[in-house]
Amino acid sequence: MSGGPRRVRVTSPQTRIALTRRHRPAQHLLPPPQQGADDEQAVEAARALFLRQRRLALRTLGLLGALLLGLSGLLAALPALDRVTVLGFPASWLLLMAAGYPLLLVLAVTHVRAAERAERGRREP
Amino acid sequence: MTGLLAIGLLVVASMAIGVYGVRATRSTTPDFLVASQGVAPGWNAMAIAGEYVSAASVLGLAGLMLKDGIGSLWYAVGFTAGYVVVAALVAGPMRRSGAYTVPDFADYRLGSQAIRKLCAVIVLVIMWLYLVPQFKGAGMVLHLVSGTPYWVGVVLAGAVVTVSIAAGGMRSATYVQGFHYLVKLLFIAVPAVFLVVHAGEDAREAALRVDPSTWSRPLLDVEDAGHPLLATWSVLLATTLGAAGLPHVIMRFHTSATAWTARRVAVGVIVLLGLFYLFPAAYGLLGRVFTPGLGDGGDTDTVTIVLPGEIVPGTWGALLTALVATGAFAAFLSTSSGLLMALAGGLSHDLSRASVPRLRGAVAGGALVAVLLSLPARAVDINVAVGWAFAVAASTFCPLLVLGIWWRGLTATGAAAGLAAGVVSATGAALASLLTDAGPGWLVVLLAHPAAWTVPFAFAVMVAVSLRGTPPEWAERAVLRLHAPEPGARCE
Repeated sequence: MSGGPRRVRVTSPQTRIALTRRHRPAQHLLPPPQQGADDEQAVEAARALFLRQRRLALRTLGLLGALLLGLSGLLAALPALDRVTVLGFPASWLLLMAAGYPLLLVLAVTHVRAAERAERGRREP
Repeated sequence: MTGLLAIGLLVVASMAIGVYGVRATRSTTPDFLVASQGVAPGWNAMAIAGEYVSAASVLGLAGLMLKDGIGSLWYAVGFTAGYVVVAALVAGPMRRSGAYTVPDFADYRLGSQAIRKLCAVIVLVIMWLYLVPQFKGAGMVLHLVSGTPYWVGVVLAGAVVTVSIAAGGMRSATYVQGFHYLVKLLFIAVPAVFLVVHAGEDAREAALRVDPSTWSRPLLDVEDAGHPLLATWSVLLATTLGAAGLPHVIMRFHTSATAWTARRVAVGVIVLLGLFYLFPAAYGLLGRVFTPGLGDGGDTDTVTIVLPGEIVPGTWGALLTALVATGAFAAFLSTSSGLLMALAGGLSHDLSRASVPRLRGAVAGGALVAVLLSLPARAVDINVAVGWAFAVAASTFCPLLVLGIWWRGLTATGAAAGLAAGVVSATGAALASLLTDAGPGWLVVLLAHPAAWTVPFAFAVMVAVSLRGTPPEWAERAVLRLHAPEPGARCE
């Protein structure tokens, strides 16, 4: 059982923070968003980035809502789609079974790329 | 018997992968809970998908299709759409908070031990609501493949999952669950294709025939209550927003190295889910042709397991049944171990002091309660119960995380009020729909699928109560930090 190298407990900084958190109030754990630099300016920049990310998030959420409510609304509004046949399937079934997933993927990829671009712009001014 | 053998092999293979994982890292409590952060993004996405594709997707989706119609597939769309919300709103900031459970996050953002405890209690509610249909599925599958009584299957399933977690923990779970995703995809997809080919031209045509009944309408009309669009939207709201608040899913994003990878992992999950969800529909469509008896009063959740034997007689049928049964059991095993880990984390980490032995005890205790709750739950549709778990998550943790991450004005009192309002209204509605019969009409829809009103209600309470107080002056820093890129992050 023993022998071999002694096990050393290794945790990431985040884990350490999470573990120590219960003993201290949260505000002590919050370093300024950017250290060293002019604090006021750093906070301003962080605020701007946050607002940009929030606009992005709202846009994605809006598009997602439009996609889901729009697709189901379309199928509710046009029962005729049940009788149109595409590739052997009723068109409305095909829309429900397969059309949503690629569109969801496009939404997510677009969002993540925009969010990463926003963060890159922040880090490399 | 072939089925039982195949399930046995699955359990042994899972354990083997688990033991290898345990060897790779020894379990200190944080490692046991969330794995190390060296997990590769591809594996992590596969593990999340593996954990997420539950009995609801493997058994419940086809079952509900047979019962309520083609519109049940909206569940699958909502389950997948949830990861757009996760990628856009939650994954990155959650990773940066350094919190590994939702109660941890509440503590980080609001600095209140009371909120942590309240969140831990809600974790228990969601996890048990979610575990019961998983155990029902497992008991049913074991009953179908071996003829053992339902309760034996449930107890056996509880024992298997408890032992496999107690032996491993989360580190090995990453690989075990990635493996389970592959098992589910292959063992559901391959038989589906085989059955579609084997069913014959006439059956295929019959399966795709649109008849004038509501079955063929691509909207969710629950028990012919009317108001299909309301029911569809309510289910979409519950599944999409619920996915962003499921404690066991949120935990997994801590295993990504950075916020960037966390977001990309969420996108990967969308691909894996979209791929998987192309197949369960085949069982529902063919089930309407080959097992019409199930639709009139039978347990429709069994259709995925029963169908291969109906279409292909003899040895091949037995083999296919064994495959889908193993896929279903993999779904049970991976989801319920993820759920039990999150539940045990809540019990031992948030409600008391954490240690590995206590965590193992919490896993066993949590599994025992889930087994006891599942014994009388045989008649509950898998997807309906899972839908309630999502509705509760969407009405509690979704507002907490979304407002906590994106609005500095959230206060501890506001969060507590919103959480309480959400959990009481959503579980209350679910209980009411279980115990009463409201008859047809919008009331039955709003009780069976409460998210349409409980989610806006919880958000409104959280915002309104927060606005009456003042957030602490460090609240802005706590929010900005969630959106600040890591200094050393990869940049391409």
